[in-house]
Amino acid sequence: MTDNKNKQSLKGMYWTWFVLTVIGVLISVWVPSYLMPKSMSDSMHLSILTIVIFSVAAAPVAAGVYAATLFALKHWVHKGEGVPEAAEPIRENNKVVAYWLIASTVLTVFLLIWGLGALAVDNGNTGNNPLVVNVTGQQWVWSFSYPGTSVESPTLVLPEGRTVVFHITSDDITHGFWIANMGVQVDANAGAITTLHVTPNALGNFNIRCTQFCGLNHAFMVTTGTVLSANDFNSWLQTQSQKA
Amino acid sequence: MTSTLEHVAHTEAPQGGGLARRQNIFTGFLGGVVFGWASWAIAHHVLDQSSRNFSDMVVLFLTFGWTVGFWLGIGALNGPGRWLIGRDHTRADDLYYAGENQGVKRYWKFCTDHKVVGVQYIVMTAVLLGAGGILAMAIRTELIVPGNHFVDQQVYNGFIAVHGMLMILALIVAVAGPWGNFVVPIMCGARDMAFPRLNALSLWTLVAAAGLLLTVLGVGSLTMGWVVLAPIADQAGIGMDFFAMAIIVFTVSTTVAGVNTICTVMTMRTKGMTLARLPIMVWSAIIAAALGLYAFPYFSLVEAQTLMDRVFNTSFFIASGGGTGWLQANLFWLMGHPEVYVILIPAVGALFEIASVMARKPVFSYRTAIAGMAGLAGLSMLVWAHHMFTTGWAPNLGGPFMLTTELISLPTGLFFLVIVGTLWRGNIWMKLPTVWLFGFIFNFIIAGVTGIYLSDIPIDNQLHGTMFVTAHFHYVFVGSVLFGAIAALCFWYPKVTGRYLDETMGRISFWLVFIGVQVTFGAMFISGMRGMPRRYSSYALLFEHTNFITTIGAYMIMAGMLVLLAAVVRCWSHGEASGPNPWQANSLEWLVPTPPPLENFDVLPVITEDPYNYGKELVRS
Repeated sequence: MTDNKNKQSLKGMYWTWFVLTVIGVLISVWVPSYLMPKSMSDSMHLSILTIVIFSVAAAPVAAGVYAATLFALKHWVHKGEGVPEAAEPIRENNKVVAYWLIASTVLTVFLLIWGLGALAVDNGNTGNNPLVVNVTGQQWVWSFSYPGTSVESPTLVLPEGRTVVFHITSDDITHGFWIANMGVQVDANAGAITTLHVTPNALGNFNIRCTQFCGLNHAFMVTTGTVLSANDFNSWLQTQSQKA
Repeated sequence: MTSTLEHVAHTEAPQGGGLARRQNIFTGFLGGVVFGWASWAIAHHVLDQSSRNFSDMVVLFLTFGWTVGFWLGIGALNGPGRWLIGRDHTRADDLYYAGENQGVKRYWKFCTDHKVVGVQYIVMTAVLLGAGGILAMAIRTELIVPGNHFVDQQVYNGFIAVHGMLMILALIVAVAGPWGNFVVPIMCGARDMAFPRLNALSLWTLVAAAGLLLTVLGVGSLTMGWVVLAPIADQAGIGMDFFAMAIIVFTVSTTVAGVNTICTVMTMRTKGMTLARLPIMVWSAIIAAALGLYAFPYFSLVEAQTLMDRVFNTSFFIASGGGTGWLQANLFWLMGHPEVYVILIPAVGALFEIASVMARKPVFSYRTAIAGMAGLAGLSMLVWAHHMFTTGWAPNLGGPFMLTTELISLPTGLFFLVIVGTLWRGNIWMKLPTVWLFGFIFNFIIAGVTGIYLSDIPIDNQLHGTMFVTAHFHYVFVGSVLFGAIAALCFWYPKVTGRYLDETMGRISFWLVFIGVQVTFGAMFISGMRGMPRRYSSYALLFEHTNFITTIGAYMIMAGMLVLLAAVVRCWSHGEASGPNPWQANSLEWLVPTPPPLENFDVLPVITEDPYNYGKELVRS
């Protein structure tokens, strides 16, 4: 280790690392919530928050690799013609490997604990008075019915602030039931019922798109839904029942 | 068959010979078509034409006839056939089949020389990438503006599936095919693969499978994505039967190739080539081959069951008959996730090799590199259900599969450590392979980080089935694996041809593809986050701008790949001469002449150290 190169200061690399990490964190905090659809449920909020947290956690790792690579490009690229002479060999450095493993294990465990926690919150209980909605997919439409009433609807109408439990099935092949503003999706399978629950927390319209390829008009298997206030929802349900 | 140690006498090039000496790719196609047609005719005579599965049954006959006819026509079965009738090959026969003194003709036939097979795999990879690439361009052109009608919607849906499958096949063979065959045996100090005939068989079986797969485009109606999810597969036309048979034939090819690679490395190493002295590329080849042997049987199984549902009225995957699509999904992803690493690991192994040679330093922490690859292979068998988080199958297994999936970041993290550690304080030689290596580092970080999001169920519940997933795995396959494959091509091209790949054209290609990847898949991430599902033939105005940008980026990638293709073709005969060891590397493939002679070594070398001691005068005896 007498070579000049080996005494070379790595200050520049650490600065690059720091700057890239800051940029990465800023992107992580602002970009996902800007890009993703309007959040209308806690599940969606949790999805966006988890993306932010994971991005912030990954930023220093990615920035570190980029900083080292940029530093190598700046300082260690051989200049001049012909074959570069051999560099000082570094065959093993158990310390570095150990630090790297410990750091990546700590990060992974953090991601895992956060993820399992978020999953538990997401799967939390459905309250004592959930609204049940039956969802049926077929090529290439969704239909929704409200058990206990005679209401069937091609669009999904939900009340605000009340947990909704979906019982989802398919009449033909597999479809993917995804409420793009609520961070929840599950497949609709023929011959099986899958369930999903979500609590809408904002009024307005939302999109439902099919996420499982289902043949010719897959791209057009879209429908909209509305979240109404609890009172509006009850009156909607009554008008619909009378119609039916 | 190449027990050349005791055999030193030079043999005359064979004269005359019967029909078997006139077989090549054309007789192969002829045999395939004739047998396919004959099977088709037989099927019409013997089968009940009123059966509702009649057309599927006919396709089964036809594809079987095509494959066997192709084997017979090209001469794949000559060796075992002659053995069966008690007239085993002579040494002259063996040399004939190894293509001795046959010039370029040997590239057009069933040739047992591992280097010829390697070159054939380069061509095959280019053909598959080209066909898949043309489909990608058609897909992106359809999506350039919303409501475009560049291709018919049904045709478009078929393109999605065939593009996916062609590209998967192309990348499975992109590194392991050309370089696993051309350089790995030489790296071990072997005169050929352990089973040269099986080696040629694996290549030509792949050709037969690719033929079946391209037929799907002709007969249409494969409209369910490359995962051919059940039960939609049951709705499809006969394209589905061709597809399933293509996969079954393909898995024969990978199994044969995998067994051959492992046997070669385990039994054919020269004296002194201990496992710890193997170039790291060889480790990647056997780890990937072993993983392939685990993974691909699920693939043929799931396609066989799909066929049985269609042809024999079973109900493995059909709910109305008591089956379930979830079974199909499980079997498919049991193959599907390990397969990603069958593709990735050889590319990473090649990049370790390139990083070491180009930085003039040993591979940093050789043991860590092996542990990373082996760990990745092991873990990959336990993560398949993360593809099924949103299918509704076994929600309670979400947590455990999230655990195994997130652990994947440990071995992949080691890859970065090894590559950056190898470059660390090196004398980095900035040639074409190094340029693509740096591109890989940049893209693989993005691929890895976005993979972490998708491993997390609360995020996956939002992003699953969207363009975000598509962008993620394209960063893996295009941004990482393809970059590794091109780096490997630039690196070993002089060994194959004796000429460098043109530096200027190579760099133009690099920048087009590199920027193209960022533009294409960067914009695709945004489409996905904003809520655009995958496999859409049309989309809402909301996604207009990002799709337009993605299409422009895709054209850039295509332009870059065409420049690369032009460089490869042109430099094959007109490139700057490179000599036998242009990179001054020490592994055995660089120490034999260029192009390496038949059976590689006059005298098998004796190995006393690993190939990473640069700048030392090598003792050659």
